[in-house]
Amino acid sequence: MSNRPAPTLPTRNRKSTMAQQPETRVSAATPRLDVAHLAKTYGSGGKARTVIEDLTFTVDAGEVVCIVGPSGVGKTTLLKCLAGLQPATSGRAAIDGRTISGPPPEMALVFQDYNRSLMPWLTVRKNLVLPLRHLKLSAAELKERCDSALAAVGLSHADNQYPWQLSGGMQQRVAIARALAYRPEILIMDEPFASVDAQTRFDLEDLCLKIRRDFNMTILVVTHDIDEAVYLADRVVVLGSRPARVLKVVDVDLPAPRDQITTRSLPEFARQRTEVLSLIKRPA
Amino acid sequence: MRNWVIGVAAPVLLLVAWWFLSADSTDPFFPPLQTILVRFQELWLFEHFQSDVLLSLGNLFLGFVIAAAAGIALGFITALVAPVRWMLDPLIHFLRGIPPVALVPIFISLIGFGTQMRVTSIALAALFPTMIATVDGIRSVSNDLLDVSRVYRLTRKERVLKVLLPAATPQIFSGLQVSLQVAFIVMIASEMLGSSQGIGAMTLLAQQSFMTADMWAGILLLGVIGFLVNILFSLLRRRVLSWYIGSRRLARAS
Amino acid sequence: MKASVRPYAFSIVGVAGALVIWQLLAEAKVAGTALPPATTVFTTLATILGTGTFWSSLGATIGIALLALALSAVAGVALGLLVGSFESVKYATLAVLEFLKPVPPIVILPLAVLVLGPTAEMSLFLVVFGCLLPIVMQTVDGVQGTDPVARDTARSYGMGEGEILARVVLPSAMPYIGTAMRVAAPAALVVTVVAGLLGGGPGLGQNIYQAQAAGDYAGLYGLVIVLGVLGLLFQGATRLAERRVLHWHESYREVVPR
Repeated sequence: MSNRPAPTLPTRNRKSTMAQQPETRVSAATPRLDVAHLAKTYGSGGKARTVIEDLTFTVDAGEVVCIVGPSGVGKTTLLKCLAGLQPATSGRAAIDGRTISGPPPEMALVFQDYNRSLMPWLTVRKNLVLPLRHLKLSAAELKERCDSALAAVGLSHADNQYPWQLSGGMQQRVAIARALAYRPEILIMDEPFASVDAQTRFDLEDLCLKIRRDFNMTILVVTHDIDEAVYLADRVVVLGSRPARVLKVVDVDLPAPRDQITTRSLPEFARQRTEVLSLIKRPA
Repeated sequence: MRNWVIGVAAPVLLLVAWWFLSADSTDPFFPPLQTILVRFQELWLFEHFQSDVLLSLGNLFLGFVIAAAAGIALGFITALVAPVRWMLDPLIHFLRGIPPVALVPIFISLIGFGTQMRVTSIALAALFPTMIATVDGIRSVSNDLLDVSRVYRLTRKERVLKVLLPAATPQIFSGLQVSLQVAFIVMIASEMLGSSQGIGAMTLLAQQSFMTADMWAGILLLGVIGFLVNILFSLLRRRVLSWYIGSRRLARAS
Repeated sequence: MKASVRPYAFSIVGVAGALVIWQLLAEAKVAGTALPPATTVFTTLATILGTGTFWSSLGATIGIALLALALSAVAGVALGLLVGSFESVKYATLAVLEFLKPVPPIVILPLAVLVLGPTAEMSLFLVVFGCLLPIVMQTVDGVQGTDPVARDTARSYGMGEGEILARVVLPSAMPYIGTAMRVAAPAALVVTVVAGLLGGGPGLGQNIYQAQAAGDYAGLYGLVIVLGVLGLLFQGATRLAERRVLHWHESYREVVPR
């Protein structure tokens, strides 16, 4: 059980194996995610490939931060390091002050390729339950979590179907529901809406903002869609040049709550969008 | 619909043709189908049913189950423990190329002529296809699924039993199908080489004694068993892999 | 130890370890004389390799297997093309073949021995029986999978049905046929050995039976090892042949990096 003042989420029942790390009080001043000079190199010697060179940025509690950059710049590698799936070569990623060395229990990841991240032999509901088993919850709480997660993404009717029977957008929503049922405090999404059609994309973007509102979740989204980044984010981290570095962190001053029609027609929206675009398009 | 009718009619027509063409046959090698069927009923239903048919089938079943369980278990260990895999790889690749039937004389010399020899031969010969398929299946589980199991911090037991095993099941079943064929063949071979009991033994004996109708009856029975066993396996596969079959069908349609 | 060398080191340890265990078990007379020591087996094997009878036996085995394979390929492809081109014939044949598919050649071995005797013809017959079916079925699949656009294009160029069959359908069915051959080749070897072992046909199979019957256990193990090596060679040769013939097909093309 965590000693931190919990954000507004129902009680978690989580066995933390990070007990050896010093407990840090989360105050408004401590960012939830702290990335400092993160670097990742694959291979060694002559075949070494440096994918990310020197990434530094922070994410505060309850923020939505979007990471944009040209394709191939290393965004997925960054996410894998943040999620503890791969060790960084140098530099540090920390969550609440603890260095990330393995998948943190308060973090969940939504992958880009929903086709290959959902278990095809399990129904939608069972897919949601799978990560929850080792949390030793009661049957009633399991059901409640799944029901509310499915309701949040609008898939309550599909809980007994298999993922491959659903459309692409619905499958991605299942992946998001799975993350929601896990009740993470930090949600990381890797180009989550890239493989769905435009209409569904708008719905999913709004769902993202709704989740942050309802659960006060900290959300980090990697995307190549600049419009989407500006629409969603409180701040946009712009990456550039291979290997990746942070070009600039742009504060997005658009009013909340965001709305697909009105927000996107604000002149401010276009200005911020242009600012990000010109940063990316600038010759390295 | 028309194709379905043709599909059913064709084998039936062939059988009818066989019946009539052989009706007055005096050829020692090809007795009338009627005679064969009469001997079929006399031998297998039920005089020799327990002593030979059940015996053969029992050996087949036991040998196959042992091979399946051991194959999957060893396959898991080999796939997940790299040093084991490195050590066993060349040995397995060499052994898999040996015709399974050629192993039977070795087992006869080591264990003798009894039931143990037969079950051991069946089990050991049928082990390899399943084991190799299991290793392939596990090694080819998508990295994304593995990443998911790590991000959501599944325990090791959960990862192996609830992610790797189901994900590898389609490939494991391919291996099991081959193992079943091998088990069937080795069952027959082990009886023909070193036994006086069992369908294979009886059929060979009949052939050597020029009791042709009996031999044909044995061949028919073996054919029917081979066919039925395969059908049973397909039914089992359809049940266990319903999710896989469904998703492949949808993928092909799109 | 460098990481890339480690797998090979372990492999060598594995093989060596197996041989050592074998030797120890044999010397401890765990199974009496039935398990000869590895050393004895290898020296016996060396002796056998020096005899003429071994090589003619080996030749017989390989010869029968290859000949049967060739016969099955020609007949199988021809039948498959024919069957696959006519709807009703296809369904009728496939229905019958479904019954025959799960029946391995060993089942009709007694019949073959009865009619043809313990001869090379008997072995040939059995191998063809075993290899023909999969080749026919795969060829039918290949015919099915012919791109209708390619077929229509050929027709619009005025090609006759026979020409279409040879120039469009056959090449597009080649990958399927290739798969069938890749599976059939080792099977041909196996069935040849079975025909020899159980039916008395010429070749290494018969030698194995004789060795076991005579109690020549060292020779028995030696011959089994020869079969293992032969199996590996067959697999390798088949894979090479497939790559040569099908190098133009998609699955073999090198992916050009974008």
